[in-house]
Amino acid sequence: MALLELRQVSKSYPHAKGNLRVLNEISFSVERGEFVAIVGPSGCGKSTLLRIINGIIAPTAGQVLYNGQQVDGINPECAMVFQSFALLPWLSVKANVELGLEARGVPPAERERLATLYIDKVGLDGFEEAYPRELSGGMKQRVGLARALAVEPAVLLMDEPFSALDALTAIGLREELLDIWQAPDSPVETIIMVTHIIEEAVELADRILVLSAGPGRLAGDLRVDLARPRDRRSEPFNSLTDKVFSLIEERA
Amino acid sequence: MNARRLISGAVSILIVAALLALFFSFRAHAPHLHGPRFSVSVRQLPYYAFCSFYRMLAAYVLAMVFSVAYGMAAARGRRWERVMIPAIDIAQSVPVIGFFPAAVYFFVALAHGGRLGVEMAAVFLIFTSQAWNLALGVFESMRTIPDDLRQALEAFGASAWLRFRKLSLPACVPKLVYNSILSWVAGWYFLIACEIITVGPSHYRLPGLGSYLMEAADRGRSGEIIAGLTMLLLIIVLMDLMVWQPLTVWAEKFRYEFASGAAGEPMGSLGMLHALSALGPAVYRTARFVIRPPAALLRVLLAGLPALDSTTRARIARAARATGYAALIALWLIFLYAIFKGLAALAHALSGPWPDQARLIPAATGASILRIVVAYSISLGWTLPCALAAADNVRFRRWLAPIAEIVGSMPATALFPLIVLFVVEVTGGMNLASILLILTGMQWYLLFNLLAGVNQIPEDLKEAAHAYGLNRLAIWRKLTVPALVPSIVTGSITAWGGGWNALILSEYFSYRGKTYKVLGLGALLDAATYETGDSMMILLSLLSMVVVVVGLNRLVWRRLYNVATERYRID
Repeated sequence: MALLELRQVSKSYPHAKGNLRVLNEISFSVERGEFVAIVGPSGCGKSTLLRIINGIIAPTAGQVLYNGQQVDGINPECAMVFQSFALLPWLSVKANVELGLEARGVPPAERERLATLYIDKVGLDGFEEAYPRELSGGMKQRVGLARALAVEPAVLLMDEPFSALDALTAIGLREELLDIWQAPDSPVETIIMVTHIIEEAVELADRILVLSAGPGRLAGDLRVDLARPRDRRSEPFNSLTDKVFSLIEERA
Repeated sequence: MNARRLISGAVSILIVAALLALFFSFRAHAPHLHGPRFSVSVRQLPYYAFCSFYRMLAAYVLAMVFSVAYGMAAARGRRWERVMIPAIDIAQSVPVIGFFPAAVYFFVALAHGGRLGVEMAAVFLIFTSQAWNLALGVFESMRTIPDDLRQALEAFGASAWLRFRKLSLPACVPKLVYNSILSWVAGWYFLIACEIITVGPSHYRLPGLGSYLMEAADRGRSGEIIAGLTMLLLIIVLMDLMVWQPLTVWAEKFRYEFASGAAGEPMGSLGMLHALSALGPAVYRTARFVIRPPAALLRVLLAGLPALDSTTRARIARAARATGYAALIALWLIFLYAIFKGLAALAHALSGPWPDQARLIPAATGASILRIVVAYSISLGWTLPCALAAADNVRFRRWLAPIAEIVGSMPATALFPLIVLFVVEVTGGMNLASILLILTGMQWYLLFNLLAGVNQIPEDLKEAAHAYGLNRLAIWRKLTVPALVPSIVTGSITAWGGGWNALILSEYFSYRGKTYKVLGLGALLDAATYETGDSMMILLSLLSMVVVVVGLNRLVWRRLYNVATERYRID
C-alpha cells in the first residue's frame, strides 16, 4: 500500500469574479522511502499542494490518504521546511527547534535531548543560544531543517527550501540533505520537495512530478534511475532535464 | 454618501447618546460628594505623587488586559474586525472629558458614595485615554504577523495556547511598548482633569499631584506649584529611564528582520546625555539578572508538572471555548440592556423644554471647529518639519523621541492657569489662550505618529534616492512626505480626538473667582456643568459634539485613511 495517496485533489479560492481554480484533479501516490520532487512554473499551485498534503489547507475536492486512511486536518507524520525559513525571531535556535516538540507535548528533558541531537546533525553545534537575526541564510534554513527533523516525521515536506539561498550555499545544503536522508539512523524516510529549479529536482529526487500552470494539473511523472551522487554534466542528467523542461513547456 | 454609511453613522451616534443618557440618569441616585480638607503642604507631595502614580498604573494594567483581549478578538476575522474596529474609532473620537461627570455619577452610585466611587471614575477616565490606542496596536500587530510563521506553527500542530504564548503575544510587543509610551503621555494629560471633580454643587478633590497643582495654583502658592511640577517631572524622567528605555531595548528582540528602516539603534538613546543613555541597557541587564533566578525556579516547577495528554487538552480547550462564548453572550446582553435603558433615559431627558442657551449651539459648534482647525494647522506646521528633519538626521531622531515623550507628558493642564493669565494679559481675549491650550492636547499625538512613520521608511529607498542624486527638497517631496502620509492621517485622527478633549478643558476656565470663557461648544458644556448644573444643556452640548465628531470621522477621516493605506502604503 502506498504511504501517501492523493485522489482527484482540487483547490479553488473564491475570487472577485467567481472561483479561482488553483489545482485541478491531482492524483498520485508516494511510496515509503521515495524522494519525490514536484516541479512547475510559479503559480502552478505546487506550494498549495504541499500544504494540502500537510493538512494546513483543506482541498476543495478530492482526498488525501495516508497509510490508506483519509486525513482531515494536520497530518502529524509530516513536517515542513519553509522557503522563508519561518523562524520565530524572538526565540533562540534551540527554542525554535524545540517548538515542534513542545507542540506535541513532549516533556522538557526529552525535548532538550532531541533538539541538541538534531542541531548537531545539521551542523549547528554551538549555535543553540544564537538568535535567527545573527545567522546567515544557510544557517537559518538548517535550523528550519533541524526543527522538522526533531519531530522525527515519516514524511519530510520541503517548500522550495533552497530558493532563498545563494547558489553556493544551496549546493552545500543539498549534499547535506542527501547525507542526512541516506544515513542509517535517519529519522525521515520519505521526502517530498517542491522546487522550480529543474536541475535541483534531477539531482536529488527518485521521482519527478511535473505540474503545469493555470490551473495546476499533473503533466508528467518521471523516474530518475541514476545512481547518486549524480553528475550534473553527464548526458543522462542533461537529457532528463530537457525532458522535464519540455513537459512543462508543452502544457504551458 | 450612500444610505448604508448614513445608517451606520446614525446608529453609532444613537448608541453613544443612549450610553450617555444612561450614565446621566444616575445623577438622581448619586449622593452628595464631600471632599476632605485638602492640604497643599510640600510634605504631602510624595504621598500625592504615589496616589497619582498608582491610579495611572491601575488604569494602565486594565487597559493592557483589555487591549490584548480586544485586539486579538478583532483580528480573528473580517466579521469581527468590521464591528470592533469602528467601535474603537468612535470611542477614540468621543471626547472623554465630557463624559467624565456622567462617569462620576455612575461609579459613585455604584459604590454608594464615598471615595471608592470617585477613584473608580478617575481610573476609568485614564483607562479610556489609554485603552483604544493599545487595542489598535495589538490589532495591527496581529494582522502583520507573516503568513509563514502562522503556517509553521499550525503545521507543527501547536495548540491555541502555545500559539498565543510563542507567536501572537510576542508579535505584539514592539507596538505595545511604543503605544504604551504614548498612552502614558495621554494619561498624564488627563490626570489633572480627573482628580478634581466639580459637578454642580459637589466638590471633590482626590489626593494626587493633579489636584495638588490645581489647588496650589488656585491659592497662588508659586513655591508649591514649582515643587509639584518638579515632582511630576521627576516621576516622568525616572519612568523614561527605568521603564521605557529598557523596555524599548527589550522590544527590539521582537522585531521581524525584514522591517527594513527600523533604525538599528533602539529609539531611546539620549544622545546628549551620553552617560545616561547607557542607563537603559544597563537597567535592562540588571532587570534580567534579577528576574532570572525566580524565572528559572518557575520553569523547574512547571516542568515538574506532568504533560497533559491530548484528550485532557482537548477537553480543557472545549471548556475554555464554552466559557468564552458564555462571557460573550453575557456581555452582549448587558450591553443591549444598557442601550435599552439609555434610550429610555434619552427620550425622557430630551422631552423637557429646551433651554434658551441651546440656540447658541450651532454658532458655538462652528467656533469650536474653527479653533481646532487653527490648532491643528499649527501642530502640523511644526511637527511635519520636525519629522522631515528627523528622517534625514539619525542623531536628531534619537534624542527627539525621549525629549518629546518627557515634554509631552508634562501636563499642559497643570500650566493652564499660567498660560491663560499670561495670554489674556497680553492679548485681552481668551481665544488665543484657548487655541494654545488645544494645541498642547494635539501636537504630541501628531509628533509621535510621525516619528513612528519616519522610523518605518525603508533604508534602501533612502539610499536609492541619494544614489540618484535627488536633492533634499526632492527627497522630501517624492519620498519622505508620501511615505509619511499614513502616519499623518492616523496621527491626525488621534490628534483631533485629543483636540476635542482639550477643547472642553480650554474654552472655560475658572481661576481665583474669575471666569474666562469664549463662545464654543466646550464653554457651553462647562458652563452648564459648573454654573447652572442644567443636565439638559449638558446633554445637548455633548450630543452635538458627538454628532460632529462622528460625522467628521465618517466623512473625512475614514476616506483619508482609505486613500492613505491604498496609495501610500509601503509593502
